[in-house]
Amino acid sequence: MNPMIGKELRQRMRERRGWILPSIYLATLGAVIALVYYGMTKQTSQQGWEIGVGLFMTVAYTQLVLLLLMAPIFSAGALTIEKEQRTLAGLLTTLLGPLQIWWGKFAASLLYVLLLLVAGLPVLSAVFAFGGIGPWEVAMATITTVVILATISAISLYWSSVFRRSVHATAVSYVSVIVMTAVTFIIFLLAQEMSGNQSWNQMAAAVKAPLFFNPVFFLTVGFAPAAQLYPEWVQCAAVSLLLAVVSVLLTLRNLRRAGEMV
Amino acid sequence: MIAVEQIRKSYHGARGLDGFSLKVAEGELFGLVGPNGAGKTTLIKILSTLLRPDAGKAQIAGWDVTAHPREIKRTVGYMPDQPGLYQDMRVREFLEFFANAFHLPRERRRIAVDLGLERSGLAARGEDFVEELSFGMKQRLFLARTLLHDPKVLLLDEPATGLDPLARIDLRHQLRELNARGITILISSHILADLEDICTRVALIGEGKNAADAEGNNFIDLRKAALPSLIYEVEVLGDTAQAAQRAGEMPGVKVMEQHPTQIVLEIQGEAAQAAQLLKHLVTGGVDVVKFARRIATLEDRYQRAFGGKPR
Repeated sequence: MNPMIGKELRQRMRERRGWILPSIYLATLGAVIALVYYGMTKQTSQQGWEIGVGLFMTVAYTQLVLLLLMAPIFSAGALTIEKEQRTLAGLLTTLLGPLQIWWGKFAASLLYVLLLLVAGLPVLSAVFAFGGIGPWEVAMATITTVVILATISAISLYWSSVFRRSVHATAVSYVSVIVMTAVTFIIFLLAQEMSGNQSWNQMAAAVKAPLFFNPVFFLTVGFAPAAQLYPEWVQCAAVSLLLAVVSVLLTLRNLRRAGEMV
Repeated sequence: MIAVEQIRKSYHGARGLDGFSLKVAEGELFGLVGPNGAGKTTLIKILSTLLRPDAGKAQIAGWDVTAHPREIKRTVGYMPDQPGLYQDMRVREFLEFFANAFHLPRERRRIAVDLGLERSGLAARGEDFVEELSFGMKQRLFLARTLLHDPKVLLLDEPATGLDPLARIDLRHQLRELNARGITILISSHILADLEDICTRVALIGEGKNAADAEGNNFIDLRKAALPSLIYEVEVLGDTAQAAQRAGEMPGVKVMEQHPTQIVLEIQGEAAQAAQLLKHLVTGGVDVVKFARRIATLEDRYQRAFGGKPR
């Protein structure tokens, strides 16, 4: 196993935030579900499957938002902390290459966020009891969230390779998350307005394009019936993959030149 | 073992090295001295593959540092000027991680870690967190980490900075011992007395280039008997101001230092000139109690090479 992964996970679990963040995450997720469940069961007209779908959507989106907020905390500081503690020079003079260092940092960051995702799975699966949701939907929501988190982690790691201070890398990573979620949606709305509010199927590819960068849209198309929106899901996945690959290549280039920053 | 030829490197908008050259033989304990910003750290970073030179050549054990970085990393143990340690790791974990990072096989890894703990005197503290160690212990731990993969060459950048006197003595012992085992060591330091004590030779570096002492030497061989210098220490009874004034009247004599009972002079010329000066002082009414030629220390030679001005 890459020694970086073991080291990173060990250090992460020793930090106070190693147990504080999962606690906050599960408490927030539980509170949101309880509120939605309470609201839905008060409406006596709701069928069991409707409650199931409502709860599932709530859990999936809440989970995505919480994890989008948490992913940069782990990955944006991963390389800057080595610069701040002056440990990067020691790492770069071992036989670990830039790819191994990157992979160790990336895998450890992603594994930690996935731990949170897995911790939320029992809650997500509990909606089976209400009906309306099957294993396919749960699998699609989980896979889509994992792809989104991997992309955000790769982008945040890139910022971590650019800056010397964790605070700067984290701030710019959050800006990236905001650009991907909010700014792309606003650009799409403006483009839609200018193109005359056509229906989705009539819209030009250029109008739809900003949404392919949007994690919330990516998750939404994952739930859509197969006949209509799976091509969009594939396009979103391709855009995510492209963003991740470009981030990785740029991070590796920066790691090769990192000797000047230590 | 280490060969540097006309190396140049500019970074962060400044010229770090400007045609510096160096040759260190196998088994040497070689010192590198120069003022702050002279290029010592840049040179050591290039030799440890952290920086790529803009021009010139640098080789270690026949490997070019730019073309064969992996071989260099296997050959070299590098200790930076401010060694960073993972404070939240246990001492043994820290060494195990780096043994892994040098891809040591399992059995060799275990032996290397145990040896590292023993060498650094931290065998009893293996389960303590790094942050619980004193500064000197941390320095010893980093040196042990540097030696895990059995490097043939050690590159040490200011390893004695911040150490208390006992820790410095301990470091000198360790370096002598490592050198006796055949490890070639290149060490940069501002603590000239330490270098004089342990090094075989010393290179002078200033403004990224080879600097020379008063005799025109770029490299000072500390194994050879030190040459008598042109520096004289004169101890007098009473006022040193009168002695300094009389000495200053002599052509070719420069007053370098003036203390309450002693003046330090530089005399350009042969012993006859010194005899003339002594006569001049005594006939001028100066009560001389000691008139002695100083053996040139590394510090004297450094002062004369770099003008004695702090930077």
